[in-house]
Formats: sequence, structure tokens, C-alpha cells
Amino acid sequence: MTDITDHLPHRYPFLLVDRILLREPGVRVVAEKLVSFSDPLLQGHFPGRPLVPGVLMVEMLAQAAAFLEAEPLVGKSIFMAQIQDARFKAPAGPGDRLELEVKPDATFGKLKRVAGTVRCEGREICTARIVLSMGEAAS
Amino acid sequence: MSDLKLRVKDMIIQRLKLEGMTPDQIEDGAPLFGEGLGLDSIDALELVLAIEQTFNVKIEDEASGMKAFRNVDSLTAFIAEKQPA
Repeated sequence: MTDITDHLPHRYPFLLVDRILLREPGVRVVAEKLVSFSDPLLQGHFPGRPLVPGVLMVEMLAQAAAFLEAEPLVGKSIFMAQIQDARFKAPAGPGDRLELEVKPDATFGKLKRVAGTVRCEGREICTARIVLSMGEAAS
Repeated sequence: MSDLKLRVKDMIIQRLKLEGMTPDQIEDGAPLFGEGLGLDSIDALELVLAIEQTFNVKIEDEASGMKAFRNVDSLTAFIAEKQPA
């Protein structure tokens, strides 16, 4: 099983992938994020009415996409270069088990584009294409 | 302007959303990146996809891509050479 903190440099409170369910580097990754009332990112969004911010679902997909890389990204330079066609179709909140699926769809030089889908109980709640730069040595 | 060159310019304008620009305004020999049209590496990724979808021509690696992306003339020549008959 993939050790998430060995692979991703993100840490609390911004590590948004809890588990890797399926991982074929360069082909497909399915990961999972469990949303909870005690999630620090929900405390202010919104008080008494916790909802996962849409941009964080995009971030979850970007973090899941890091596992498409065969080599660990700790100590490497990684960044998001573009978000395309992001759609937020339904809200997510405490108790939701979010399935994050990403597949590469184009590569040129350092940039890689992935197509991502967030599902909750089989229903698509967010889709986006994200351009990422991953794996360069940090300068 | 050759038919293929016009299609290349149309593709650049449409895919990179260069709104308000016409094919005549893109000079054949002007650099696509940096000076000239001012495209960046994110645009390059989009162009790779656009060329594959529009002309069925694959750009295998960054080196051949950057050579083809020098200007409209080089890109048109690259597509003409690689395009399936």
C-alpha cells in the first residue's frame, strides 16, 4: 500500500488525501478523502453549516494526481499551472466519503494535464482538468 | 496564404482563445512564444492536444515540439510532413 506522506509533501491541515485505493502510475489513480466535522478546513466554511469548498475538491484531485508519478514528490517542486472546466455539481460535507479519480490526458515538457472526477456514493460531484508541473527538483 | 497555414492559424486562435484576432494578424515568421504572439508553456500543452485532434499529428517529445512551435511557418511545415496522407 502507498504511504501517502512518503509520496506527497503536503501536511496537516492541507493534506487532503486519506487513502489510495488504486494506483497505476501514469495510467490511473483512485484515492479517498473522508470528510469530517472536525476537519479544520470546514470550521469557517461555514460556521454551523460545514461544506467542502469547491476549490478544495480541485486541490484533492491535484493531490491525488501526484500519485500518477512513480517517484515520490517529497522535496520536489510541484505546482498547479491551470484549472480547466471545473464543475461543481453537488455539495459535500461531514460524513461524505469522497472518491477521487484522476487520469493523465496530455503531457508536454514539465507540464501534465489530468482529468479528475470527485464522486460521492457513485454520484459525480466535481469534475475538472488540471495542468500540473510535478517532479522537478526544488530549486 | 495556403489552406493548411490558414487552418493552423484558425486552430491557434480558437484553441488559445485569442479573442478578436484574425489569421491575417498572425505573422508567418513571428515567434509564437515569448516575443511575437506571447504564448507560454501552458499554451504549448494546449497546442499539442489541438494539433493531435485537428490534424491527427502527434508531437512525440518536447524537443520536436519546440522546433515545430517556432512560428506558423515551421508548425505548418511540421504538420504537412507528418500528416497522414
